Amino acid sequence: MSDAVPLTTDRPGKVASVTPPARGRSRRLSDRKLAVAFITPALLLLLAMSVFPLVWALFLSFTDYSATRGGTGTFVWFENYTAVLTSAQVHLRAVTTLIYVVGAVVLQTVLGFTIAYLISRRTHGRGLLTTLFLIPMMLSPVVVGLFWRFMLDAQFGVVNSMLGSLGLDQVEWLTRQRTALFSLIVVDTWQWTPFIMLIALAGLTAVPKYLYEAASIDRASEWFRFRTITLPLVWPLLLIAVLFRAIEAFRLFDLVYILTSGGPGVSTETLSFHVYKVAFLGFNTGTASAYGILMVVIVIVLTQLYLRYLNKLKED
Amino acid sequence: MLLMGTTLTACSGSEDDAAQVSAPKAPATIPELTGDPLTLSFVWFEWPPAQALEKFANEEYKKVRPNATIKVNTVPNANWHDAMFTQFAARKTDFDIAILDSQHIGEAVTNGNILDLTDFVKNNIDVNAYDPYLLAAYGQFPQAETGKRDENASLYGLPLLGDTWTMIYRKDLIGDQAPQTWDEMISVAEKCQTDNPGVSGLAFHQANGSDAAAVTYNTVNGVYGGNLWDAKAKKIEGVLNDAAGQEAMDVLVNKMKPLTAKGSGNWFIDEVNAAVAQGKACIAFNWIAASGGLLDPKQSTLGKTREEILGKLGFATLPKQKTDLVPLGGMGMHVSAYSSAANQAEALNFMKWFEQADIQKKWAAAGGVPSRTDAIQSPEFLDAGPFNKVYADSVPRMRDMWNVPQYARLVDIENTNVNAALNGAKKPGDALNDIAREQQAVLDSSGKKGGGGL
Repeated sequence: MSDAVPLTTDRPGKVASVTPPARGRSRRLSDRKLAVAFITPALLLLLAMSVFPLVWALFLSFTDYSATRGGTGTFVWFENYTAVLTSAQVHLRAVTTLIYVVGAVVLQTVLGFTIAYLISRRTHGRGLLTTLFLIPMMLSPVVVGLFWRFMLDAQFGVVNSMLGSLGLDQVEWLTRQRTALFSLIVVDTWQWTPFIMLIALAGLTAVPKYLYEAASIDRASEWFRFRTITLPLVWPLLLIAVLFRAIEAFRLFDLVYILTSGGPGVSTETLSFHVYKVAFLGFNTGTASAYGILMVVIVIVLTQLYLRYLNKLKED
Repeated sequence: MLLMGTTLTACSGSEDDAAQVSAPKAPATIPELTGDPLTLSFVWFEWPPAQALEKFANEEYKKVRPNATIKVNTVPNANWHDAMFTQFAARKTDFDIAILDSQHIGEAVTNGNILDLTDFVKNNIDVNAYDPYLLAAYGQFPQAETGKRDENASLYGLPLLGDTWTMIYRKDLIGDQAPQTWDEMISVAEKCQTDNPGVSGLAFHQANGSDAAAVTYNTVNGVYGGNLWDAKAKKIEGVLNDAAGQEAMDVLVNKMKPLTAKGSGNWFIDEVNAAVAQGKACIAFNWIAASGGLLDPKQSTLGKTREEILGKLGFATLPKQKTDLVPLGGMGMHVSAYSSAANQAEALNFMKWFEQADIQKKWAAAGGVPSRTDAIQSPEFLDAGPFNKVYADSVPRMRDMWNVPQYARLVDIENTNVNAALNGAKKPGDALNDIAREQQAVLDSSGKKGGGGL
């Protein structure tokens, strides 16, 4: 019997090994320091591009600072906030925005869920159909706005041309008060229904099959299965999609800018479009900052209320 | 976007606080020019004269300054003001020469964004070669009285492109003789529309972007004897919406609008040109500088040759009514206060070169609309396009809008309200009263602390 290989070296406290140890990390770079090194660039970018501008805008919102006039601006405390909150012009844009958000999100939710439900029932070509439906979402809103502007043109647009071939009258899609807002909702719905569809489809796919099998054994009707299995299980996920869309719709700017420029008159001016005008037409930077901060606050408050409702739904 | 914008502008503002009081002065004589390659950048909006300027300047200016390259950067018309003034706000511009609308001068001067050229002009420009009002309109601040120039006032720019509206009419539909009065023009358009199904009587700017609908109302206002404001008293309420102003709004909304194509409530330069080129309008109004494309057979259904198109299209000065006023268009060249010293020197040299008599005539021949009287009356200009005589005849009839720092807000108020009236979103009288009230509030709130801009 040969002697056992010694497990210790002549240096006490040091464990011997057969293979030489991997080259260790520099003692100066601990795990914590490494983590900090990786996170720092992203953190600095976030601070510079998001946090600092937000804090700076908050500071400016208490002054009468104008970007073109320069200088530091005078401290006016809450006067900008009071002016924004009591302005009839702002109230008008808030109502327009509310109508737009409710109209667009409801339409998108109904259509998105319906399409997702229909796709989920197919066994063949699901992937292809889903990809095709997602195309509008991949386009730039400016591009979408431009080609819809051409399509909805009362004189030369393809939409009125089709209506004409059906014997119907021309419609002034973008230059009448009601049709202009409706057109914005339709275009936004065309582009963003796929987003709701995608999330709803994910929810529908995740519903356990055995629930449907059990319902089938009980000879439950299609409507009963939808009402008691599908909808309750997909609902929370759908509400998350609605939340995202509502936040997006609340800050709508690009489609308004391209399609109607806020017209006719100011009837399709949303809050974001109005902030833009305050900020860049008169360069009233202090007022625009207060306006922007108030919009952020409104979104945060509404989101919190919504999330509480979602949590309650989950608990129930 | 807004947050980023405010941060950038606010952070970069402190070092130039002193410059806010007034515009810095340009040297009276042109400093020594660099021999190194240099790019002289302009900023303008996207339209044919922008391309014409770049081509012309690179061909001609290079003959005297081979090391200089001219670059005319363009933005969509609706972004023009914002594109220039956001850069001014950042105190850093990627252009050396801003091509400002005449009404932008007040805002740029007050904020110290452009150079004061008064001494430079005295030493380098023959001011007597211009119609005084044209020179004043594209450079003077405070604003000149209509038709005049205050020789003691400072100049901040020099003319680049003159412009006004031309009446474009279908000779084959209404005859060779252009209507002479505004009322006659309306009745001729009405008859033409009735006689030619599918062709609308009128086509004009109605959009709520840029200054489209505002210029249309201001034109009718001027023709019917109205005034935009009392410049000395800074009074708009009661002046704009007086009896003449109300009559003008009534004519525009109740007599002219029904003669336009359905859905034309968002038309601007391109849409009006398209309607004319496709034979869809009996009478149209557009800026002269944007009318060149109408004679291009590739863009028109009115003829296969320029001559054939000219057999159907006529160009005339605007009809008169109670007055003969026409809108002043066009733009001047202004040197950015934030451009480098070498580029500012080159910009001054370019402006001196550009304002010479022979260069102005060449500019006219290249498709530009000059401002020197000798160039306006030259065969090079008058023979270059059928609408150029219209411009020459219109020069003594021009009237401009307000050239004040609050211009962008004033024009937005007018644009949105006139557009609302034209598209049935507001009653004409209410729209006019709202314009007067809101514009007056903007002028009155200049010194107000907090809540400005709403």
